[in-house]
Amino acid sequence: MTEPLDLAALTDADLARRPFDELVAALQRAVQGLEAGNVGLEESIELYKHALRLHAACETRLREAELTITELGRRGASPAGGDDAG
Amino acid sequence: MGDQPTLWDAPPPEPQQPMRPAPRILRVTDLNRRVRSLLDADAALADVWVEGEVSQPSYPASGHCFFVLKDPNSQIRAALFREELARTVVRPEHGMNVIVHGRVRAYEPQGVYQLYVESITPAGAGDLHARYEELRRKLAAEGLFEESRKRTVPRWPRRIGVVTSEQGAVWRDIGNVLRRRYPLVELVLSPSVVQGDAAAPAIVRALRRLYAQEGIDTIILARGGGSLEDLWSFNDERVVRAVADAPVPIIVGVGHESDTTLADFAADLRAPTPSAAAELATPDGTQLAAILARFRDRAGAALLGRAAESRRFVDSESRALARLAPDIGAARQRTADLVDRGARAVGDRIERRRLALAAANDALRALSPTATLERGYAVARAADGRIVRDPASVATGDPLQVIVARGTVEARVERTRTDGTEELLA
Repeated sequence: MTEPLDLAALTDADLARRPFDELVAALQRAVQGLEAGNVGLEESIELYKHALRLHAACETRLREAELTITELGRRGASPAGGDDAG
Repeated sequence: MGDQPTLWDAPPPEPQQPMRPAPRILRVTDLNRRVRSLLDADAALADVWVEGEVSQPSYPASGHCFFVLKDPNSQIRAALFREELARTVVRPEHGMNVIVHGRVRAYEPQGVYQLYVESITPAGAGDLHARYEELRRKLAAEGLFEESRKRTVPRWPRRIGVVTSEQGAVWRDIGNVLRRRYPLVELVLSPSVVQGDAAAPAIVRALRRLYAQEGIDTIILARGGGSLEDLWSFNDERVVRAVADAPVPIIVGVGHESDTTLADFAADLRAPTPSAAAELATPDGTQLAAILARFRDRAGAALLGRAAESRRFVDSESRALARLAPDIGAARQRTADLVDRGARAVGDRIERRRLALAAANDALRALSPTATLERGYAVARAADGRIVRDPASVATGDPLQVIVARGTVEARVERTRTDGTEELLA
């Protein structure tokens, strides 16, 4: 579905903007990579750091998530706080 | 009674032909069973649509309903059982004109045949029913309802499009379900009236508006419960075709559990109610935090295991190196090169592991407080890579590589002395 994230190239602010499902998928991959045990120690450490960052990012998102509502076809008349009718 | 025949007696039997077999005497039960199996064998009687007038309905405590269905010339007993009664749009009343769907069977204990009703609708809706059936067959023949067309609803949607009325409980319910369950999603409402003559074209327009949007993962078409007529626009050919046209998976949740519209058939997924549609469209976020925490813990455990493995390696190699030391002293003239090579190889590996482990300790600050490799030992290497153990092996001015726990110091020999090891220990 999505390309693996290049964690090393992404700042935490970048992560905060990525779709939640991408973060979950990346976290899952990092954990599976670690558990497979066929990577070197250095790489394991990198994976672990990634897992910590991804988990923190996911947790923040879950904690702060608020349902976004957009309403189509009714410019300016929406009471729901959607910003753009698209 | 005497033996003389009276007027009331049957006439004496005709003399019978001796060849004729005796008639087979049936029990009543056998007879009724035979009639029943005759009726059951007729496939046409198993699936009949009958129009008539309800007469004398009764509602006994069992929760079932019994009535007579009649027209000017004939009548038949009808039974509507509790389960079916709960699902019907109308409750049979005396004098009501209805169309019933069901099967004809014999009821053996009473020797009657009757109509077992599966669904009942007002006769005014009879046209609707015929049209519903006709349209269902036509669209089914076109393959609109094929199982193979049905797509899987994405597990992790980012944007969910909703077509329903922006007023009313359905829209509120969907919002509430998602707020509780998966508020990470963006809801895109494409409002539409969902009742009356204007509903069908309005629903189609609302769907098309969503289809034109970028990045919608799943669509929900929903409406609350209502009468057959109220839900009718979801049987409208235009609506059904628009549902079948959806570019992304679409979930239809209309009315109550028992209401099945043609739009339901055309959807990728049918939800019994609008709230259920919202649930089917999203993962259960209330479990997510715990699941994610487990992932994090598994990562920590896996890394700890990895680090422990490396630490065992360093320890065993260190012991191997220590065991080599006496050999170096005893036979250095003969085996200097060989031992040097071996020691260097082992030393290099230890060094690499040591550096990696230091980094692991960094990462594992909380998890792994070990600092056994940072006790201040250093290794000096000559220009050709030999480990320097004897000052005599180097000369003033030679370059030296001094490897410490966290890196390397490039140095040069200023002078050599054979004493001084006590100082080190002091």
